[in-house]
Amino acid sequence: MVLRKEGNKMKLTLRIWILIFVLLLSLLTILPWPPTNLLGKGVVIKSIEQNSSAFEAGLRQGMIIKEINSKPINTLEDYSNAVSEIFAEQKNLTKLTIKTSDNEFIFLTNKTPELTLGSLPKTKLKTGLDLSGGARALVKPANISVSSAEINDLIAITNERFNVYGISDISLRAVRDLEGNNYMLVEVAGATPTDLNELVSKQGKFEAKIGNETVFIGGKEDIASVCRNDATCAGIESCFQIQGGEACRFRFVIYLSEEAAKKHADITSKLGTNVTEQGRYLEKKLDLYLDDNLVDSLLISEDLKGRVTTQIQIQGSGTGATRQDALNDAKQSMQKLQTILITGSLPYKLEIVKLDTISPVLGKEFAKNIIILGFLVFLIISVILFIKYRKIKITLSVVLTMFSEAFITLAIAALIRWNLDAPSIAGIIAGMGTGVNDQIVIIDESISNLNISLKERIKRAFFIILGAFFTIIAAMLPLFWAGAGLLRGFALTTILTVSIGILITRPAFADILKKIQQ
Amino acid sequence: MEIQPIEQKKKSWFDKWYKFFPVVPVLILIISLVYLGFFFKQQGDFIYKDVSLSGGTTITLKGDFDSEKLESSLKQKFSDINFRKLTDITTRKQIALIIESPATAEELKAAIEDTGFKITDENSSIEFTGSTLSKGFYRQLIIALIISFVLMSIVIFVLFKTFVPSFAVILSAFSDIVMPLALLDFLGVRISTAGIAAFLMLVGYSVDTDILLVTRALKKGEGSLNQRIHRAFKTGILMTITTLAAVLPAFFLISGLPDSFRQIFLIIAVGSFADIINTWLTNVGIIKWYCEKKGIK
Repeated sequence: MVLRKEGNKMKLTLRIWILIFVLLLSLLTILPWPPTNLLGKGVVIKSIEQNSSAFEAGLRQGMIIKEINSKPINTLEDYSNAVSEIFAEQKNLTKLTIKTSDNEFIFLTNKTPELTLGSLPKTKLKTGLDLSGGARALVKPANISVSSAEINDLIAITNERFNVYGISDISLRAVRDLEGNNYMLVEVAGATPTDLNELVSKQGKFEAKIGNETVFIGGKEDIASVCRNDATCAGIESCFQIQGGEACRFRFVIYLSEEAAKKHADITSKLGTNVTEQGRYLEKKLDLYLDDNLVDSLLISEDLKGRVTTQIQIQGSGTGATRQDALNDAKQSMQKLQTILITGSLPYKLEIVKLDTISPVLGKEFAKNIIILGFLVFLIISVILFIKYRKIKITLSVVLTMFSEAFITLAIAALIRWNLDAPSIAGIIAGMGTGVNDQIVIIDESISNLNISLKERIKRAFFIILGAFFTIIAAMLPLFWAGAGLLRGFALTTILTVSIGILITRPAFADILKKIQQ
Repeated sequence: MEIQPIEQKKKSWFDKWYKFFPVVPVLILIISLVYLGFFFKQQGDFIYKDVSLSGGTTITLKGDFDSEKLESSLKQKFSDINFRKLTDITTRKQIALIIESPATAEELKAAIEDTGFKITDENSSIEFTGSTLSKGFYRQLIIALIISFVLMSIVIFVLFKTFVPSFAVILSAFSDIVMPLALLDFLGVRISTAGIAAFLMLVGYSVDTDILLVTRALKKGEGSLNQRIHRAFKTGILMTITTLAAVLPAFFLISGLPDSFRQIFLIIAVGSFADIINTWLTNVGIIKWYCEKKGIK
């Protein structure tokens, strides 16, 4: 396969061409799209609150904001400065003109747009939680074992809950371990939602009862729709002082299905009336239970008795040390209740068996140090090889091969959207280490001045290399399934790196070495 | 060949003593096994498990703060609690404090906040693993380690198709795991899930020098047996040196790396050291003896 030298110019062999081609392909895979993102001008919308004015104006997740009211936005800081400037004085409706990379959106609003923003990604590589920060929960039904189909149902409901709740940067996966246990793995990138714990683990069983009779429960069967993000039918009603702090009441309207409304009429028709100072009410209240705890009791006015009414107002309250705390608490409780009313309850109680929340700041520090370490390792290995072989060409070709293996592995990770966590990167480094070892075997075989042809010697080198390759694969395979697959990254990147070595870089390296030897 | 006279000299020395080469490593292996036996009797397990394998919480607090006060206060509240500091190698400044305890995340968080330290999403990482889950993890990782070892052994047998050389390679891989394990226990290192993954890696990683040695020794026609072993040694030791060069900077030059990362590298480093003696003393002894007996010169 080696082509002859043509004058002074060396012709590259097919294997070297394949390596160059794969490297170019990898570059294209890793580069951001569009590549102008590399210049870093603009901020990207990571998530956007549905039904917000920005959303209604047409802004969507993934768009890149370039300008706000003619002010250029290059960084996250520019954005927060621009927004705080605009909303510092204006309390009334303000006109916002947001220019994205390929469009312009104009809308009126009285508050800062409900967006989560991020810097432009410089590559398509995704880092894992331990390096980018975020939260991870491993959840399983408490006390019962479930099939993978049931876990998929659970994932569907949980996914809907997160959507309703407005958390979009999330990944939900079913995982299965060596012993056949099924789990749901929840991963949220970036900042951790404060109530992640409750969102994923609360069964969310909502029941509205009159006396002992259930009138309706959360979920689509009983509840046709729930009013949210519309001040006319949902919001904080009032705040007032209570002992030891403040409290705020919220209310929102829900629309019952025909059937649930009939049930309500049936039950109320049998009730008597109480006359109080506030007015005439039915003798029993509508009690709202969340996970078997009483959330609120609502008085039912007399005119609702026996009537098929589909519209019901739900109320509740939040408390806190200050007015602001109470307000936030009430808002949160309202959102939680709305979420549960929309999505319905989970079919069983859940248990969080693992919960990790990683600080984005610490993660960034780790990532930075790993990159420095990577460079250092390249440098030290180059120096050792140079001392040993005293040939700059050989040293460079080993370093180039190491780099290629890491680079192609990263490209595959980007392609399959693998989140690179610390074990994954350790795997790449270990794989590169095997790569260097293999190349040393090839070099030593090829420079030994024995009476066997170069081709034969390299063939022998490949016997050793293949042996080492299969033992590594054999050793790492079981890690794919053990421990709910949390260490899968380590196995995956090691196997990827050594496989790329065997299939692409090592054959090319052997040819490069032949060229150097010639 | 210019090196001939040196080779000759080496030959006689080597030929005389090679049978004693395995003595030291085999002694170390026996000591390690006995130590692990005692360790098991005492602790009921082969390793010190960290909370990712035994259940509990790890909290990493970022920053250079006075950790003494926090440590003493927490020690009073929790009987089983561990602290580790991450410091910058050049400035000696504290980067973070790692706190480990079998307590739940809520208990530990509350106790830390009681001392006046405010925990936020930014300044801290909290990892909690339930005890049932972590026990399951441990069990599965041990099974994975065994499967990994068996698969590796099968590959070796398929590769060499003869018993003694294959056995030598597998023995070396076994020692490469047992020796670091005993050393880590002796040093009191708490092993995490990532650490056990590193042992799996070791199974696959450490045998390449053994494959090199056996292949070179058994293939006739490339100089004498001693020359072939010597050549394998020169290649193999360079391989191990580059491996160490790749993993050691993580301890001496760069600080502030994730714990999982450091542990993987620590185990590979110790395993590589063990591999030097297991390959170039034990295995060389066995293989040379085997070749002499089979008439492979």
